[in-house]
Amino acid sequence: MTRSPGGIAAAAVALLLGVLVATHFGSQQAFSRGLQLETPASLTTVIANLAERNTALRDEIFDLRVRVELAQEAAQSGRGSLAEAERQLTALRIFAAEGPARGPGVTVVVDGAFDERALADLVNELRNAGAEAVDVNRIRVGPRTWFGTGIDRVLTVDGAPVAGPLAVRALGAPEVIRVALTRTGGILAQFGLFYPRTRFGATSESALELPALTRPLP
Amino acid sequence: MRRERAARGAVLLLPALVLGLLVAAQWRGQQERSEVSVRYNAPLLEAANALQREQGVLKAQLAELRARVDQIQASAASQSGTGRDLEARIGALKQRGGLTPRSGDGIMVLLDDGRGPVAAKDLEKAVCHSTDVTDIVNTAWRGGATAVAVNDERIVGTSSVYCIGSTITVNGTLMSPPFQVAIIGDPAALLAAFEDPAQLRDIKQRRDMFGLGLRVTRASALRVPEYSGALTVKQATPR
Repeated sequence: MTRSPGGIAAAAVALLLGVLVATHFGSQQAFSRGLQLETPASLTTVIANLAERNTALRDEIFDLRVRVELAQEAAQSGRGSLAEAERQLTALRIFAAEGPARGPGVTVVVDGAFDERALADLVNELRNAGAEAVDVNRIRVGPRTWFGTGIDRVLTVDGAPVAGPLAVRALGAPEVIRVALTRTGGILAQFGLFYPRTRFGATSESALELPALTRPLP
Repeated sequence: MRRERAARGAVLLLPALVLGLLVAAQWRGQQERSEVSVRYNAPLLEAANALQREQGVLKAQLAELRARVDQIQASAASQSGTGRDLEARIGALKQRGGLTPRSGDGIMVLLDDGRGPVAAKDLEKAVCHSTDVTDIVNTAWRGGATAVAVNDERIVGTSSVYCIGSTITVNGTLMSPPFQVAIIGDPAALLAAFEDPAQLRDIKQRRDMFGLGLRVTRASALRVPEYSGALTVKQATPR
């Protein structure tokens, strides 16, 4: 069997071509999920987000150090106290949504068509902006809350119907949350494109009162 | 003979042309990327990685301090009935709130970018988005899950899944696909929720049409870690 130089050259080119296509495609796959390909603007947002989270961690570390010292001093002087346990219980009841909570925050009104995925996205966005507690039409959102659609396309929160207009209330720093929602390209602007006939509004509130979860978690 | 040579030349011409285009496109892309990345992205990338490393250190410090507080508290609680009652209530709240690890049977959900070839216009449909992760978590709670973790980040009442560019964060921790979602609960009820055609319609359609990776499997003896982030109860007070 003889092989012509032209055929070998063609095979070599095809091989090289295949390798190049594969590496080009492979590099796109790998790069697409690395920080390397992010734009400077996205990287700046990533950094701001990480810095904010780290600040929250540092704040809690500082608080805990102070409380550990105080508790140790109290124990050494024979003044054992349950104050730390009571403080922790209060914070955990809010965190786990098992106690009613009050404080400043934001009310988001949604008047018109809206679906359960959008509601989940809105709650997710509120949490990302630092919401400490959330309710929907006075039904508290807990650690295991799910959003669905019931009879007649009525939205549900943990299976309970919530008829529109929706009032989604979140406790947290009012301006931080409101700006996060209403910024250019933010979630309310995106909702406005998906639901052009629905009215959205976000208002800062100086005092809100949220109920506890109606059914405690098992 | 001349016709044979011409045919061979034609066979080489097309690949050579494509090759040339690819090399040129790759070189141009690299050049454009490097102009921006050298000036801005490299230091920004370094800063992001440094913050991510710092987050790991801070979370470890926080875990240690929480353990010390628990220890002091347990000692104080053992001295009175009220103390023991408080201790028990705190323990139960931590467990329900996701502040303790949890083990049990359940399911594993694997969500991954499509690995097969896909047309450029459909690329968005073949990759995972943060909203896919929130949809999966919502379906898990709907199916009666008692604990959920995404790539070992425990989902709690303040958790958020966020997308910045093509980067996804869960509880502020940077992540990239594949996403392994560990879900503890009754496996039959969870599987039924995930297999319900009315649930995750968009993800299932993209799996079938564009190769998005989605696999749901029964799993036994799963273990999900405790939430390791900050509690952040600052503005909210008890009513």
